[in-house]
Amino acid sequence: MVAKAIEFKNFTKVFGSTIAVDSLNLDIYEGEIFGLLGPNGSGKSTTLLTLSTVYKPTRGDIYVYGHSVSREGDIVRRYVGIAFQEPKALWIDTPYELLEWHARVVGYSRSEAKQVVKEVMEQLNLWEHRKKMFYQLSGGTRKKIEIAKVLIQRPKVAIFDEPTAQVDVITKHALWDIIRGLREEGTTVIVATNDMFEAERICERIGIIFKGRLRALGRVEELKDQIPGGDIVEIQFEGDEEKVKRLLDSLSEIGKYQFSDHRVRIYLNKGEEKAVEIINNFTSLNIKVKKVMIQEPTLDDVFFYFTGSMLKEG
Amino acid sequence: MHMPALREDLRGLWLLVIWDLNRMKSRTLFVVMRVSWFALQVSLFGLALSAMVRFRAIAGTNLDYYHFYLFGIYTSMLFSISVSKAYDIAEEFEEGTIEYLLSLPFPRRVLALGRSIGGGIASFLFTLPMFAFIVYLLGSYDPVALTVSMISALAFSIGVVGFVLTVVLSLKSSDSTDIAFGLLDAILVRLSTVFYPALVLSKIAPYYYAALVNPLSHMSDLLRTIFFFEEFKAIAVANPDLMAAYVFGLAVGLSTLAVLVVEKAVEGGGWK
Repeated sequence: MVAKAIEFKNFTKVFGSTIAVDSLNLDIYEGEIFGLLGPNGSGKSTTLLTLSTVYKPTRGDIYVYGHSVSREGDIVRRYVGIAFQEPKALWIDTPYELLEWHARVVGYSRSEAKQVVKEVMEQLNLWEHRKKMFYQLSGGTRKKIEIAKVLIQRPKVAIFDEPTAQVDVITKHALWDIIRGLREEGTTVIVATNDMFEAERICERIGIIFKGRLRALGRVEELKDQIPGGDIVEIQFEGDEEKVKRLLDSLSEIGKYQFSDHRVRIYLNKGEEKAVEIINNFTSLNIKVKKVMIQEPTLDDVFFYFTGSMLKEG
Repeated sequence: MHMPALREDLRGLWLLVIWDLNRMKSRTLFVVMRVSWFALQVSLFGLALSAMVRFRAIAGTNLDYYHFYLFGIYTSMLFSISVSKAYDIAEEFEEGTIEYLLSLPFPRRVLALGRSIGGGIASFLFTLPMFAFIVYLLGSYDPVALTVSMISALAFSIGVVGFVLTVVLSLKSSDSTDIAFGLLDAILVRLSTVFYPALVLSKIAPYYYAALVNPLSHMSDLLRTIFFFEEFKAIAVANPDLMAAYVFGLAVGLSTLAVLVVEKAVEGGGWK
């Protein structure tokens, strides 16, 4: 049985009158890559910043290998390393100085620090930028410096807050390989992302977080199977959207549906069977059906099903 | 890489001192301007002022206002530059580097102490050229006096930065920081013996008693008595031992306060 690396017990974080995270209960297991999926403002970063002891829980607690974030932060910080969503440095810092200092903080000697920093910077194609000041670097390069901190540290729990935001496609794939490599070494990895494709590609389990609450938890395939019937009928049509809405509302077997520019995605059981009936209903209302597709749900659909919103609307 | 706890703490303190020293390069222009201003101030204004000011004979001593003024202006400069650490910390909050430091594997007490000591050392080093200029103007090169005065200045600076850290981390607001420290700088310098001895205004009770407890009074009078004991012993706010105890006690007390605040209350975010 795999041990639990992190346990969230009724974790709540309130800022003033805003509940950023509400009663989060969640276990993350040792050696897995866990994805926290949600739009901006959903509570992902707040959760990760509290886990890394930057914030304190308002209620409840978080345990890292049995140690409380509230009461044993000094110990927790030895287990955890975080690559922040927004790169953290002063405008005058150079990548080399910053990373060398970071290496020494996490326990390397002066000579070891020089060596590991060079290796990691070369791995991330940062070496040529080592002497530039922070303000001279592109967003993608700054982001890689954040990742470099975690690679240098090699913590037991590695946290990446939107690791591939602002980076190019090639770098994105390289970073995904690096994250998988950490997992191969036994590191527990948590990735916060609003990129469905990224979540599906690298995460073994996903927690969907929306407006501060955990809405769904499980392996990607499990979450897809939870959508009733697992079928989606997509119909492209010409005609009055309001008429179509009234029609769909009158049909009992339809779960949720979602409109987008004269296309409707309908979530239901027995999609192939019901599609014929629905099309007949469209025709009877003089609504022209241009195209029909039946498919299994994507992670976008999973998100919509559990939250009622699309990720980009959230 | 496990090390005994104390050695780990000391290593952490050292690395945090390096963090503050590395940041000195962002303040170079500011410091060059301040040193230039200081040199002008003491060379021209100080001499002019001392030509206008004459102490009435107090206990038969022969006081030179220029000596009085030099140590006062240095103390006020040391205080101002130490207090300006508030703006550095505010910048770190805005840049997010405070959150980075809070995520690192330092115990909170080490973080607080390290930033107080590092900030104090950086502020002291910034004012070292000014101190050297004063020593040159006075022509007094006694090694004991130099060593004791520099250690006192360093302790004073650490205490002030500890206080600054506590206040900024509690306020978490650029505007409040600007107002609080602008006021503090103005009021504390004036309600002290930086520019005039407490005895001269002893009839104004609020000023007199404020000056007696003001750390700037103790720091500036301590420096005066270290270099010119006979000249200033009659007008200092206290005897040198007491003043030294005050300055060092302040350093320890305010650094401890910083540790308490950082351990109990500090968290990232919420910067206004």
